Amino acid sequence: MSAAPWLVAALLFAAGVFGIVTSRNFIHLVGCLSVCQSSTYVLLLGVGYRWGAVAPVFYDHPPGTPAVDPVVQALVLTDIVVGATVTALLLAMAVRVHDKTGTLDPQALAPFPDRRR
Amino acid sequence: MSPRTRVALMALVGACLAPAVWSIAAALPPFGAPTGAYGPTVNALGPPLRHVSNMVSAVNFDFRGVDTLGEEFMLLGAVTGAVLLLRGARGEDLADAAGRVAGRRVEPRSSAVVLVCHLLGPAILVLGLYMALHATVTPGGGFQGGVVIASGFLLVYLGEGYRPWRALVRSRALAVAEGGGALVFALAGFWPMLCGQPYFANVLPLGVFRDMLSGGLMLVENAGVALAVTGGFAILFLEFLEETRAPRPRDEPGSGGGA
Amino acid sequence: MRVLVALMLALTLAAGLGVVLSRDPRRQVLAMAANGLVLALLFFALQAPDVALSELTVGTAATPLLFLVALAAVRMNRPRK
Repeated sequence: MSAAPWLVAALLFAAGVFGIVTSRNFIHLVGCLSVCQSSTYVLLLGVGYRWGAVAPVFYDHPPGTPAVDPVVQALVLTDIVVGATVTALLLAMAVRVHDKTGTLDPQALAPFPDRRR
Repeated sequence: MSPRTRVALMALVGACLAPAVWSIAAALPPFGAPTGAYGPTVNALGPPLRHVSNMVSAVNFDFRGVDTLGEEFMLLGAVTGAVLLLRGARGEDLADAAGRVAGRRVEPRSSAVVLVCHLLGPAILVLGLYMALHATVTPGGGFQGGVVIASGFLLVYLGEGYRPWRALVRSRALAVAEGGGALVFALAGFWPMLCGQPYFANVLPLGVFRDMLSGGLMLVENAGVALAVTGGFAILFLEFLEETRAPRPRDEPGSGGGA
Repeated sequence: MRVLVALMLALTLAAGLGVVLSRDPRRQVLAMAANGLVLALLFFALQAPDVALSELTVGTAATPLLFLVALAAVRMNRPRK
């Protein structure tokens, strides 16, 4: 239990990378990328957690109550929202790639210098 | 590189990195133990110094405000890139008809869906506004409230259909909201410099602890972030949904927008 | 409390694996929505209500909708350019 979040984060990241490497569809690939992102959230929030501590919002309990780390929560919070917009950018790219080449398979597309158009 | 080679390479790298990951996981402090002094210091000094009770908002908008400025512009850049990719290929006019996939029947909108959207849409918009306004007292803030408001717009789309929704949300107003929000955030930092303080120093009156209007400059930054996130996400939804409209015929002269 | 956090971590791992192992993008969208929900519950268990609120909205509503709309746009067989 004392290393559980770190191992869960590592396993999630490995699973995400495996999905990206073996993906046959761009949109599936972007979903696996979001799994990689979620592994970092688990790691960061796991670092900040303390047993028996409350949330770092001192509205109901008085200031001075032991609370979890608010700095990592701030990092993860902004990252979730911004990560969603980056996912949207990647999806827009996937839609445009499908428009141009008719396929969504990352392993069937050749890089630029090869004239496959 | 063939798929097999790719997977074999990944397995090789994974096998090389696995002992390192294991030893790091063992060397990290145990889960739940106190780590570092920055967090507890913020928790201890936040309420007396800034009169706010939501420490996460205090970190986002006051103690680490410059980091949020960077995130803000990342959001702006990603939304601009997505809009450029989609609207650049599609054009600026609106399409009249919805796109159809060949061979699929079009289902009429269910009345249960319409009822739920009518009930929940305004409620979620009000909830999002509440969360965005009470950034410094209860869990919430510009980021969360902005996304909730944008998803409230989505409920309007689900309940009303495309045309009323498109008449309600104007892409120009959303673009102004998004850019304006980022501008408000950046300029809020310059205001203290005019008073001789560092960038993002909290020079406005701090207010009363546990009051909605506490935090000083944090409220201005929070409003900027809420505007920018709402505008950004609503623009993304709009652009993506516009992609599902019927493609405009290329040989019609002067086919103007419908909606 | 320890049991709750351990359970949520196990569910998170399962949900992440579910997203990766769903090969069909349309099924994967549902798996992503479930992943968002499980992550939000994990963040609530880890005493992070702000993070859980943003993950709840983004992970279950906004991102799966963007995926669904991208899939619909791809299926429409637009003219090649």
